Amino acid sequence: MRSESVAWERAAEVREAAEGWRRAQIIGTPAYEAIRQAYPDPCVTPSAIWRILTAVMVTAVTLCSLGALWLATRPGSTGLALLIVVLGVAAWMLTERLQASPRSARRGAAGTTAFWGSVFVLVGVGIFVNESLKIPSAQTMNTVLLASVLVWAASCWRWGSPVFAALSALSLFGLLGRLPLGRALWLLAGAALIGLFARRSDDLAWAPSHRRAAMVLLVVGVGAVYAALNVYSLDVRFVEGFVKFAPVRTEPPRWLFVVAAVATAVMPVTILAWALKSRRTVLLDTGIVLAALSLVTLRQYVHVAPLWIVLTASGAALIVLALAVERALRHSPDGERGGFTADALFTDDRRQQMLQTVPVVAAFTPAAHIPATEEKGFAGRGGAFGGGGASDKF
Amino acid sequence: MNPDVVAAIARLRTDNVLSGPQAALLNRVARRHLVSVRLEIRLLLYVGVLLLTFGVGVLVVEHQDAIGPLAIAGSLGLAALACLVWVARKAPPFSWREVESPNVAFDYILLLGLLLFASTLGYVEAQFTVLGPRWAHHLLIVGVVYFLAAYRWDSRMVLGLALTTLAAWRGVSLSLTGSLGMGHAGDLRGNAIVLGLVYIAFATLAVRLERKPHFEEVFGNAGLVLLLGALVSGVLDSSTWGVWGVALLAVAALVMWISFGLGRSLYFALGVLAAYIGVLRLLFRWSPVSLAFLVAALLGVGALALIFTAHRRMIER
Repeated sequence: MRSESVAWERAAEVREAAEGWRRAQIIGTPAYEAIRQAYPDPCVTPSAIWRILTAVMVTAVTLCSLGALWLATRPGSTGLALLIVVLGVAAWMLTERLQASPRSARRGAAGTTAFWGSVFVLVGVGIFVNESLKIPSAQTMNTVLLASVLVWAASCWRWGSPVFAALSALSLFGLLGRLPLGRALWLLAGAALIGLFARRSDDLAWAPSHRRAAMVLLVVGVGAVYAALNVYSLDVRFVEGFVKFAPVRTEPPRWLFVVAAVATAVMPVTILAWALKSRRTVLLDTGIVLAALSLVTLRQYVHVAPLWIVLTASGAALIVLALAVERALRHSPDGERGGFTADALFTDDRRQQMLQTVPVVAAFTPAAHIPATEEKGFAGRGGAFGGGGASDKF
Repeated sequence: MNPDVVAAIARLRTDNVLSGPQAALLNRVARRHLVSVRLEIRLLLYVGVLLLTFGVGVLVVEHQDAIGPLAIAGSLGLAALACLVWVARKAPPFSWREVESPNVAFDYILLLGLLLFASTLGYVEAQFTVLGPRWAHHLLIVGVVYFLAAYRWDSRMVLGLALTTLAAWRGVSLSLTGSLGMGHAGDLRGNAIVLGLVYIAFATLAVRLERKPHFEEVFGNAGLVLLLGALVSGVLDSSTWGVWGVALLAVAALVMWISFGLGRSLYFALGVLAAYIGVLRLLFRWSPVSLAFLVAALLGVGALALIFTAHRRMIER
């Protein structure tokens, strides 16, 4: 990353933290203003809505430009590959310009041009290798995945987006899954990511966006190790079959199945223990997700109870667990236990409450009824059950 | 740990910008010696409610013959009542201003109670046909109950659900996965436009009369999504797309103008996106495709200039 960009990011980190301190009334306005003066950030940083709007419009401009150029020139496969790569490189150059100016670096345009630049280069490479060089699809896929690992990694290194780090890592695991011993390679590469990036998210030498990328890589690494070890993934040959689109149905040896079953149970507990020890919420969230996946895996092999009991009991258990944790933390001295608290601390609780409206409305809104027919029915288009489960099977 | 913030706290303490106790507390959080799990608790509650309501749904579908309709309706009703009684006992007194939830679980137990109530009502209606041919009106009842509950217990989440449920009653799907809805497109557009205008009126009144003014965002966004969504749908689908196009551009321009004056970013964004979609439709209808792409790209650049200018002006004000 450019040294100026890193300096702007560091200042923005401190100013954002100060915003939270002021919101929580830990500091007053004079201290807040003093911090803003001590850490000047020349960048214009619009809210998420403006950045998303900008990203949407930049995407429209980019894709429409590609469409206009393609229709105007109607190139063959080599010409098309060249056109797309040239557009991709142009988008990268534009990203460099946008990133260099504090007026445009954080508006959402630079990240979008970087994204489309990388996508265009990869698509161009794919078309060129497959159509112009007549290399078979399987090898083309390997080439594109390899290019994808490198392009996204370089984009992340240069422009600092954690999304690019995730795309690079996912490409890496896509590629490894296509190689012989793909599952073992997932395990090794996942463990390597964990080892390499576990501590980087706390490293002052790294730019803030690179630290966030390190956190993403840590989560992807944990996910890859879990996917390689999960007993259901082993059973259905997920790693071996998914990427090649040709499932290989060979029975895993019994001992491997037992090892995978043990690992499926142990790994979420290990991650949760690590999260509690290191007090990293990202690991805590990952551990919760893995625990849920392991319970679903358990249900796949052991039918402890009918589905409705499993769902209802799990739901009730989660609610009781959440209430118990909240209550335990609230009633602890100073409202904290083991370094954890249920208070919002310096996060914007009101904003979180606003954001939670979206998933609730998405999940629980009943399906629309058909006004014209007014037909009676307990089966059919959901909603007939009043939205009480948001399912259309009632 | 955020090392930049840790370093800043040390410097700010040295410069006497922060006092000793302030620096000590901030340092604990920045070094991850004190961590908030509020979001995780919310996540557990949300998933818990989701699983529980799905479980109840599966139970009803798979075992209604074995258990019997009265037992099912009674159990669901009792569970809903238990949740709502808990909410009523914990709730702070009513106020027209924003009221803080007594605890992080409050909104979710309220949500669970209301969903179970809706399930009970839907089940009773399906089994005993209380409303007869007007069975779909149970969505109106559910929507109204959600609406009243949202006001009584000051829940934006429940208000959002109330607005989308009322839209569903009028045949309009407002879920993220749905289209405009099922049924005759013209009627649906009409319903969506009327509902959208009603919601926008509620948003305006909420602020003007200072009756739960913080609900304005929920009303306003739902209203604009319905109104602009209906107009965009008319432009994309209707045979009289030209009329819809003119109406869309006029309404979108009005929305952008008003939201710019009010400093509402999301409303402005919705206006810009709706107008751009409308213009694209007109463009691709009237021009050769290659020219349309070129003009669409240029218009996109123009839209970006508008966005940057509007943002700058909003900040300056």
